[in-house]
Amino acid sequence: MSIPASRSSTAVRMVTGLFHQPYVWAIVALILLLIVNLTKNPGYLGVSVNPATGNLSGNVIDILRASAPIMMIAVGMTLVIATRGIDLSVGSVMAVAGAVSMEFMNNTGTGSFGTAIVAVLLALGISAVLGTLNGILVSIVGLQPFITTLVMMLAGRGLAKVITSGQNTSATNESFRWIANGTFLGFPVVFVIAVLIVAVLAALVRRTALGLMIESIGINPKAARMAGIRPVGILVSVYIVSAVLAGVAGIFSTASVMTVEVAKTGMTAEMDAILAVVIGGTSLAGGKFSLTGSIIGALLIATLDKTIVYMSIPSSATPAFKAIVIVIICLLQSPRVRSMFNRRRTRVIIAEKETVQA
Amino acid sequence: MAPTTRFRAFTGLALAGTLAFSLVACSSGSDEPAASGDDGGELTTVGFVAVGPEGGWRTANEQNIQDAFSTENGFDLKYAPSSNGDQNSQITAFTSFIDEGVDAILLSATEATGWEDVLNRAQEAEIPVVLLDRGIEPNDESLYTSRIAPDNVGISASAAEWANEQFPDGANYVVLEGPPGLSVVNDRNKGWDEAVSDNLVKLESQSANWSTEEAKSVFETMLKANGNDIQLVFAQNDEMGLGAALAVEEAGLTPGTDVKIITIDGTQAALEALAAGRLSFVAEYNPLFGEDAIEVVNAALAGEDVESSIVVPSTTFDSPEAATAALPDRQY
Repeated sequence: MSIPASRSSTAVRMVTGLFHQPYVWAIVALILLLIVNLTKNPGYLGVSVNPATGNLSGNVIDILRASAPIMMIAVGMTLVIATRGIDLSVGSVMAVAGAVSMEFMNNTGTGSFGTAIVAVLLALGISAVLGTLNGILVSIVGLQPFITTLVMMLAGRGLAKVITSGQNTSATNESFRWIANGTFLGFPVVFVIAVLIVAVLAALVRRTALGLMIESIGINPKAARMAGIRPVGILVSVYIVSAVLAGVAGIFSTASVMTVEVAKTGMTAEMDAILAVVIGGTSLAGGKFSLTGSIIGALLIATLDKTIVYMSIPSSATPAFKAIVIVIICLLQSPRVRSMFNRRRTRVIIAEKETVQA
Repeated sequence: MAPTTRFRAFTGLALAGTLAFSLVACSSGSDEPAASGDDGGELTTVGFVAVGPEGGWRTANEQNIQDAFSTENGFDLKYAPSSNGDQNSQITAFTSFIDEGVDAILLSATEATGWEDVLNRAQEAEIPVVLLDRGIEPNDESLYTSRIAPDNVGISASAAEWANEQFPDGANYVVLEGPPGLSVVNDRNKGWDEAVSDNLVKLESQSANWSTEEAKSVFETMLKANGNDIQLVFAQNDEMGLGAALAVEEAGLTPGTDVKIITIDGTQAALEALAAGRLSFVAEYNPLFGEDAIEVVNAALAGEDVESSIVVPSTTFDSPEAATAALPDRQY
């Protein structure tokens, strides 16, 4: 070994430092996926101005746009999971929010800016109501979060069908369409809105004691209560936040095509959200959470979906491909596998030191 | 332990409440099996094991069947939609119809496999079973009286023939499929692949789960991956075709001129888009075959021979004019 011991150990320390970030493997996977796409077309990452529409266009822009709804539900899910809960109803809430807004715009039919605003408020309002129900059942009644939100998942999809009488409903409204398809300074509006919402939420959670309170409930609810934290208020607000963010995601995905597909909008979105959270390094057992990690997880899922199409992987193989990538990431993140890596590394370091000494 | 008991009772009550809430919400989209007891002797009782709310096509189909088997036509139809496409709920409804001793059973199976047992039971009870739209696997024709459905293979073949005419010098095309494994998807692929000419090049084929939103996202990426060099899209249902049209517009291209889009089903939304020039060809998958079903049921009950497979004729729409003409009396 020609490398001096001191230099190699700082390098190792830097590497192990990175290893301590739970979402490092998500970043590695994200970069790998982009490289895979680059091998098919070296211009993959290029962003250009579309001469016909005057907007920025490129695969990266598409990924940012596709990641916005996943980001919304993943961030909400992170907070719920941090309290040792889970929210399976996000996909259905997306459908309800989409159904309410589309049905409202379809019936008023004015297509004005005011109608769009009312549609958004209605959608967010009904999402908040569903979230409150979840929160009350979990915190005050003391039902299991899994059961509560499972019931809400079934009920929500039913509610969406009732609202639209079982039909896929479309509407025309330029302002509402702009939310998902418009651009702001060249960037997709959905992504800008998503980033703003996440920034506000992150500031709220991390610059105040709120984040710590959420974590403490997840780590030990009894101790948290003894320490003077009132879990009911926090639990209810966490479920409301999750549902409202799901409502935002529902608006994003229905505005993109101006149609709500009651049987498909938000279908299995809860799985994407949970995956994004897990990939981002937040433990399903509750406690410590990472919003950054979940955002990286959401970006990774969007990139993975886009890569599958870009690389023309046959449609029958896509679930398997997706599963393999995610299993590998989760394996690399599991503490046991990581400790195996670390043990190996320390053994190498010790061996190196011994050779240097000798 | 009084507080605990009281709390338990409260939890139980709340749980019951939520369950009731969810049940109400789930079932309100679909009607309960019509339990009309007036079997005046002259009415023929028919049990309809249906799929339930699924989309525009299904709604039109099941409404048409219910309208056809009316009291005026001498039928008492018992409509039993599945709960969210669950096969078990269909089998339960099917067996209870056998136990009730209905005169005939209509079946639109949500899943193709696993019907042998109940079909055998219906045969033992001498109840004729007519399959509507969806077939069963393995397709043992001795198990049922007849199957009435439009011909998926023929419909997509007619779409492929139109494409051959439109692009005599060849073109690049992509296919937007439904979920892999469904018999509809296999049939629509088969008809297309058999009829499409060799100078049309299939760049890729991806599933967009029958969904507009997914189709838009998938086709947007397909356009990027192929540098916009796609002249034709074969979308296996209307919704996906409409999603592809949105992606084409987003990319600054014009649907109809730069990219031609073919869809199957022929719902109102698709015909409107065809009339506006956003789609180029719509092949109908005709959902209106209530009259055919009545004929088959009557013939079977009279002991006549019935053909085991009856194809419902479907039309195609290849121009905005044809769509505009058909729109006023479109029922779905």
